Amino acid sequence: MKRHVPLWALVLLLGLLGGGAAQAAYDYRLQPRQIAADTWLLEGSTENFAEGNGGNIVNCAFIVTEAGVLVIDSGPSRRYGEALRAAIGEVTEQPVARLLLTHHHPDHVLGNQAFTDVPIAALAGTTELLREQGEAMTENMYRLVGDWMRGTELVLPTETLQPGVFEFGGHRLRLLALSGHTGADLAILDERTGVLFAGDLLFHQRALTTPNSPGLDVWLADLQTLEALPWKLLVPGHGPLAADAAPFVQMRDYLGWLDALLRGAAVRGEDMNEVIRAPIPARFAGISLTRYELIRSVSHLYPRYEAQALRRIDQ
Amino acid sequence: MFRLVCLLCLLLGAPAWAAEIDPQGSPMWQFHRQRLLGTDPVRFDARVVVRAPPFAEDARQVPIEVDARGLGRPVRRMLAWAELNPIPHIFTLQLQSPRLQPFLSVRIRLEQATLIRAAVQTEDGVWRVGSAHVEAAGGGCTAPSVVRAQPGWEERLGQVLGGRYPRGEVDRLRLSVAHPMDNGLVGGIPEFYLERAELHDAGGERLGRLELFPAVSENPTLGFELRGGGRTGLRLRDNNGNEFAAEL
Repeated sequence: MKRHVPLWALVLLLGLLGGGAAQAAYDYRLQPRQIAADTWLLEGSTENFAEGNGGNIVNCAFIVTEAGVLVIDSGPSRRYGEALRAAIGEVTEQPVARLLLTHHHPDHVLGNQAFTDVPIAALAGTTELLREQGEAMTENMYRLVGDWMRGTELVLPTETLQPGVFEFGGHRLRLLALSGHTGADLAILDERTGVLFAGDLLFHQRALTTPNSPGLDVWLADLQTLEALPWKLLVPGHGPLAADAAPFVQMRDYLGWLDALLRGAAVRGEDMNEVIRAPIPARFAGISLTRYELIRSVSHLYPRYEAQALRRIDQ
Repeated sequence: MFRLVCLLCLLLGAPAWAAEIDPQGSPMWQFHRQRLLGTDPVRFDARVVVRAPPFAEDARQVPIEVDARGLGRPVRRMLAWAELNPIPHIFTLQLQSPRLQPFLSVRIRLEQATLIRAAVQTEDGVWRVGSAHVEAAGGGCTAPSVVRAQPGWEERLGQVLGGRYPRGEVDRLRLSVAHPMDNGLVGGIPEFYLERAELHDAGGERLGRLELFPAVSENPTLGFELRGGGRTGLRLRDNNGNEFAAEL
């Protein structure tokens, strides 16, 4: 008698195959690139968050030392954090020893779940901001990049970093507590290699974001502090590496333009809808997402400029 | 097809508005149209411009601008609503003088992504409708008050910041009024919002009367355009009977 494969078995088989395909579709394919002695970079795209990129628009890095691996930022999702951990394992047999977070934005911290077995360190202000905004930011990431986020939950830092020198496995790391991007921004200079991990105080070829910025003047002052450090290689939070000051030049130019635009618009009595349509200078054509980020920055910053330009008129 | 629908409507004795085809294809069109515009005729008109950002970066403060200056004819009333908001109606502006231009900018709360509609009634009684879509993560109508979290906000209640900006033949008037605009949807705080603003000139001539609804954001920010110079007075009233006055 001829035996038929039962229907349920076919369904199960198809389900398994389908599931496998879905898993493969959510592979970040992270490829660490060595950028200096002991130092590896995972460079994200300069796009916006999208289902096509899984939120991998960010630069994460790690330093391999004799005391274990020091990781800088954990990426946008649990899946990214796990992929980052696996990618580190391909490069070195040293165990991961510690995770440092540059700031609280979701693309830098939502891979934390893959590092709960090691200390997760951040500035006190970063932990505070994560406590306030982390849940809402995580929800928004599900909206923006969809199923890539599956299983992602907020994990708060377990250690508070103090600014100053941090000796780790033979690397002298200078930690700077700055504030121009979010109010609590960590920059890390590895004095042994000269690599400056600037976090999102530096964007390069990608428009900067301002949702928590205390002011563009604060940010400009931070850039001056960073540029004066004895760095040899710049790792921006977003965009390509640089061995020269190009990212600083671009940041200052862009911040100066944005500040003048908002100030001028407020003096002319423009409303937000006029400001978001302002022409963007041709010299910024190579910077990704300028219009999109201008719309966001106007929402974040313009009310402060308006309040300065208006005067009391009640009787 | 359109003609067929019209014919069917006529045959079935349906009111004329049943034949309007909303170019946005929104299921909420008829509901708000009947409630806010009544039985007056409606035309969708590209000269009624609603400007808004493509997405709401802050759903508690979404800037919109309604501009019907392109119609080039007298306007009686302008109103705007956000279709999917729990409180859809944003404002109704009655234009009481030809000096006041059919233009208003205001910031609003959005609870979710939605169409923003503006309807402008010209002197022939026809409502001319424009719209814009705003993408949003949402939550703007139910987010905790920022104003109420600031110590001393009661003392600042009704303070008005303003500016007057000449732009060729017209002056841009901008106002920002300190008020929490509580919409009754947050933390058991009842409705407490500015419901009326009246503009008049130095001689007391009425220019316009603006009705506001708590879809308008905290610390309402308003922009008008007015032909002719001179001082302009502003009278404000909230739903608790507080009255405020300003001049610019």
